[in-house]
Amino acid sequence: MKIIIVTLLFCGLGLVWTPKKGMVKTIEYQHKMLTKKPEFFALQWQEGMALKKKSTPFFIEVETLGNQNVDILVNEQNRPVLYTADVCTPVCADGECRLMYLTLYWDLLGAYAGYDKVEGQVLTKHDHEEFLEQDYEKLHRLLLDDNSILKRKKIDELVSKPKEPLQDGVDAIAGATIEEVKESVVDGALYSCYVAWNIAHGPIKGELRDYTIANFDKEMKGYMLQSNEQDYQMYALGTLNEAEYLDHRDRIIQIFKEGIPLIRSYIVQNLPKLFWESDSLQMPFWESFATVDINSRSLLLNHIQQAPVEVAVLLGGNLEIMTKNQLKLYLSAIENEVMTNPDINAQLLRFAGSGTHTYAYVVAEFLEELE
Amino acid sequence: MKYLLLILCFLNISLTISQELLLEAESFDDKGGWVVDPQFIEQMGSSYLQAHGMGVPVENAQTQVNFKNKGEYKVWVRTKNWVPGEWEAPGKFQIKVNGLVLENTLGLRSGWGWEYAGAVQITDKKNTLELVDLTGFNGRCDAVYFTTSNVEPPSSSKKLATWRKTVVMEPLAPKVTKKYDLVVVGGGIAGCAAAIAAAEQGLQVALIHDRPVLGGNASSEIRVHTLGIYGNFERILKKLDTEHYPNGSPEAHIDQIKRDNNVKSYDNISLFLNWRAYDAKAVENKINYVDARQTATGERLRFEAPLFVDSTGDGWIGFWAGAEFSYGRESVDEYGEEWKEHGELWSPKQPDNAVMGSSVLWRSFEADQVEDFPEVPWAMPVARDYAKVKGEWQWEFSRNDLHQIDDAEEIRDHMLRAIYGSFGNAKKLPENANRKLEWVSYLVGKRESRRLVGDYIFTLNDAKSGRTFPDGVVEETREVDVHYQTVLEDEKNPDFISEALFYETPKYYIPYRSLYSKNIDNLFMAGRNFSTSHIGLGGPRVMRTTGQMGAAVGFAASLCKKYDVNPRDIYTGYLEEYMDLIENQKYTPIPESKK
Repeated sequence: MKIIIVTLLFCGLGLVWTPKKGMVKTIEYQHKMLTKKPEFFALQWQEGMALKKKSTPFFIEVETLGNQNVDILVNEQNRPVLYTADVCTPVCADGECRLMYLTLYWDLLGAYAGYDKVEGQVLTKHDHEEFLEQDYEKLHRLLLDDNSILKRKKIDELVSKPKEPLQDGVDAIAGATIEEVKESVVDGALYSCYVAWNIAHGPIKGELRDYTIANFDKEMKGYMLQSNEQDYQMYALGTLNEAEYLDHRDRIIQIFKEGIPLIRSYIVQNLPKLFWESDSLQMPFWESFATVDINSRSLLLNHIQQAPVEVAVLLGGNLEIMTKNQLKLYLSAIENEVMTNPDINAQLLRFAGSGTHTYAYVVAEFLEELE
Repeated sequence: MKYLLLILCFLNISLTISQELLLEAESFDDKGGWVVDPQFIEQMGSSYLQAHGMGVPVENAQTQVNFKNKGEYKVWVRTKNWVPGEWEAPGKFQIKVNGLVLENTLGLRSGWGWEYAGAVQITDKKNTLELVDLTGFNGRCDAVYFTTSNVEPPSSSKKLATWRKTVVMEPLAPKVTKKYDLVVVGGGIAGCAAAIAAAEQGLQVALIHDRPVLGGNASSEIRVHTLGIYGNFERILKKLDTEHYPNGSPEAHIDQIKRDNNVKSYDNISLFLNWRAYDAKAVENKINYVDARQTATGERLRFEAPLFVDSTGDGWIGFWAGAEFSYGRESVDEYGEEWKEHGELWSPKQPDNAVMGSSVLWRSFEADQVEDFPEVPWAMPVARDYAKVKGEWQWEFSRNDLHQIDDAEEIRDHMLRAIYGSFGNAKKLPENANRKLEWVSYLVGKRESRRLVGDYIFTLNDAKSGRTFPDGVVEETREVDVHYQTVLEDEKNPDFISEALFYETPKYYIPYRSLYSKNIDNLFMAGRNFSTSHIGLGGPRVMRTTGQMGAAVGFAASLCKKYDVNPRDIYTGYLEEYMDLIENQKYTPIPESKK
């Protein structure tokens, strides 16, 4: 598969390719094995893991430098863990081009996962200054942002045209970058950042994702579901059928408890109907009510009519964390229980009379209208 | 002076006669530093006065009150503590009658309702009433009620509405009816453009707007710059749009003057500033009239016309008239609007009621001397450790338990807490010793609310494909840009900050059929409440684009008048003439003198 990254950004502006002494056109694989966590890495790394490189049909074609292979890294059980490529690409600005060397990593869904420096090569910026440690870290943060401003702007939109003649330099910021860009990129290294981001987030991303999905099996599903990576969790959840929801319910409850709000919301919204028809299946979700985020609580409350009375009592002990509209939803659901269930009645009275809770008045008015 | 004097004699349990008087705060003669806030009438019942002093107590509001009978009156004030909790209420104020402060401090109760201010001996006919702000932090007063009885007025919203009508003896319908060719409700960019287009074609137009200045989100009161292209309507839209200054910039005042003067220059636009529509009546799917109320005086008018434009943003006219509408996010499969890369953040597997949020813009400046800012403990649960000295479009709030219309006051107040708290945090840093708040809007700038359903529902796919339509009257090149709250991805993020997802598209078009109601025969819509899906709204929600919608319906209205037909008939029977009229807008008209 052919993926073309056009990195000679300024050819149209009359920039010329100026090869430097000692420059190589391709680089050898940096390592045959990956045995330690990449220096800049966003995923969890299992200590002792030794990943072996295997080739894939994918490569990144860098203009004038040819194809650069993308490999898959597999563990000892031959299970895919990451994708990687040793990238050498020209970065051109202000009439001069230099090579940038990086070993990039993508996760199994094609998202940028991290990078390593290439031995013997440093990244440089304005006036040939070498990247400082914080610059490497900033580059990593920038690459992690899949919604970066670099995504939707062309390079010439990112810089104001300078009035003065351009200075020579590897990666000079030719003209002032706009404020948002400045926050996003390594100071003095706009072009390097732009090129790196567009490789990491280029078409290769989708290709790798599709490759994983084409080879997605039960084992991979289990792996992703067990993983702490949010993208993996979300993807795996999206592939579950009703029976698998049941099979994996313990893990799903755990993700609901510990996951990010977006995934929790997805779980509540997509739990099969049978969970809401069974007291025992739905109870663990209600038990997390106090610790999950507000949006997830609201989505849970949409199911309160299907919940057993124990849930009404459980939530009655959590009135102080409910928002106004959540309280209203709860109260309308338990209207018929208030008079017959002394526990709920006592909880409402306690809350309404507390005097310190923001929405105590909502419960007080509710009780008043019941009388 | 406008106030409601009531010498209502009614029998109470003990068969005594009581005297009462209800004074709406927004009708005070001199509002001092208090501002009229009409944004939440539909939810809490009335315009109210608000002490928006950014932490500095505002000047007293005052008015004269005439009593018919002497005696001891109990004074009740309709108010609320806008941030109840374990701290001092932020919006405290007092009532002064004839120079004497009544005993109870106000602004302490949770939820809108009556607080007892104290008793006052009235000995003269003419009396002075003042609202004394104590904090500068958004104390609010809806009404003041004097009564000789011991009965507390009702607080619950249902009972209050009935009580209010009884007390003020307001007739059901406004006494005065005005008739026009076209009534446009909502004076944002879309509404202004609709009014101008129709007026240029000779229609008599009423433009009803609930603020003192035009422009809605682009106004100097909210200060969002206009984005998008002009399409066919450059000449009209240049009368209304803004420069591309940073959101929140005071440069908005310059464009405000331009816009107001331009709209006012049309003799056949009757401009009703500070009037807010509160009802629309449709019979057999046709709106007969819209009723509106002056936001300060309470005066009412009925507006009759054969055609109406709903450019209220919230789709109120359509809502009252029974127009079909949608709210929230469709499921990803409903219109096939998937963007794999962003999955659930973009379009969910199951439909939900999440929408893009509302913003409150603000800014501060470097003063020449050290400036203090009070402690704001009531803001900290929202702001947490976030520290900033200004806010841009990313200051946005949406949450799935909050409706952008029904809960707009809570949304606005949440943003005020975010702003004051974040500024308070920033002020603790040495580099901000001289920082002072310059401007904080008290108007909530909405992105998305009700979307009225037309004959065509515009979606992402129309934008993605650049689909052309025989009735494509609006065109746009701007990306489809949909926001989400960053707290969804990480609970450590503030819940009032959003991020935008930009979907690049070719040039795309919106058909005229998305600009009139599917089931209300004489209703156009222009602005964010046009007929679109949630994702479809992401692109054309910006104000040059909504301005194009306005202009397009203004011209359509002129043909409706010419042939005495409804909006749909323009598409089915007069499309060629209509599209010619739209096309001709690209060219500067030849002056009469040169014809």
